[in-house]
Amino acid sequence: MPTPEAWAESFTEATNGDAEIGAHGKYYSCSYMLDMQERKLIVDMHRGRVENINLDVQPLDAYEFALRAPADTWRGMGEPVPKPMYHGIWAAAFRKNLSMEGDLLVLMQNLRCFTRQIEILRETGVPV
Amino acid sequence: MPANGRFSPVTGRYVTIDLEDPDLGGEYKVFFLENGEGRPLVCQHTAGCHNHQWRGLLEDPDITRSHRVIAYDLPRHGKSDPPNDREWWKEEYRLTADFFTKFVVALCDALELEDPIFMGSSFGGNVALQLAWRYPDRFGAVIPVEAADYSPGFFLDWWQHPHANAAQVCASGTWDLMAPQSPDQERWKTWFYYTQGSEAFRGDLSFYSVDHDLRDKLEEIDGERCPVIMMTGTYDYLTTPEMTAATAARIKGAEFIEMQDIGHFPMSENYPVFKGYLEQALQRIEERIGATVSGQR
Repeated sequence: MPTPEAWAESFTEATNGDAEIGAHGKYYSCSYMLDMQERKLIVDMHRGRVENINLDVQPLDAYEFALRAPADTWRGMGEPVPKPMYHGIWAAAFRKNLSMEGDLLVLMQNLRCFTRQIEILRETGVPV
Repeated sequence: MPANGRFSPVTGRYVTIDLEDPDLGGEYKVFFLENGEGRPLVCQHTAGCHNHQWRGLLEDPDITRSHRVIAYDLPRHGKSDPPNDREWWKEEYRLTADFFTKFVVALCDALELEDPIFMGSSFGGNVALQLAWRYPDRFGAVIPVEAADYSPGFFLDWWQHPHANAAQVCASGTWDLMAPQSPDQERWKTWFYYTQGSEAFRGDLSFYSVDHDLRDKLEEIDGERCPVIMMTGTYDYLTTPEMTAATAARIKGAEFIEMQDIGHFPMSENYPVFKGYLEQALQRIEERIGATVSGQR
């Protein structure tokens, strides 16, 4: 398992260098929380690039939407080839224990790039 | 043959049919693709999509040498228009099991198909079950792909939310229905098709997740009179293999084939893998209802 700091660095690098997000992320700007039970983090996206990853989330830190799931679910999603029902946020929400919360309109408005960015976890792994 | 082009053996035609239905009846101009000779194999695309999902099957000589493969666009999808004689733009589109099954039968009648095999995926798989229940004598067999007796949860307003890009929500919202093992080229074609059908997708899913409910009807389906061969991929999160297996177990004479490492759009996301399972299903049908009718058109 990568350290949180090393993970944040590799996730930032992979996102900012990703061809698909680079080609289609001109308006991909939002902030979201990944709640992995053992660790929470907030990613701030600006025009298709990671602007900041907050690894020390405090009670009043703001974000627009959150994905929450137990650490094991995130580990499953972070496998290079995820097993069935760990292969995306919709699959994990319908058949596992991932929940989508907050302003889901923002998620839907950015669904293409966000879906691709979550798949980057298959390359970087997850920090839990 | 031009030096720089390669023609496909697949041809497209339109047929216009009239349908009586209190909710959705009217005159429909329907587009279909076809190739091959033999027993008709009628193919229904998934919700919010069109017949290019069957591109691999339509050009597969291993299948078309013994089957007349027909893949149509359901009205309001692909090149099949909404009704010619309804002010459909003043209505909320919600597909019903009544209309969907009447349409499939009317199309088979218009094309004068004898003992066709009906195959559909997702909402097409669910309507295959409905056809086996309502019209068992009109079909030689049905192959419900990625289907179950009941499939709630996908009738969502997000598919048409005016504050989001509906094309991308529909396409990326169904991305996870495909298996990570399926080739990128084929998954992205499927994604691309899904950017084209957002206006129909939500209404289609009213059938898929609301109107389609055979939970207390499965025992009334006679899978010996009309063979039912169900197939579901291991990466399908909407109708899991367990759900399909449970459905098949309650239908007299039904069979279930689990497809490994493939998802909810198997014919489109990874045809070579799907083909192996389809050949098993067609073989079982041939064993049960007799050899294919060679050359019949």
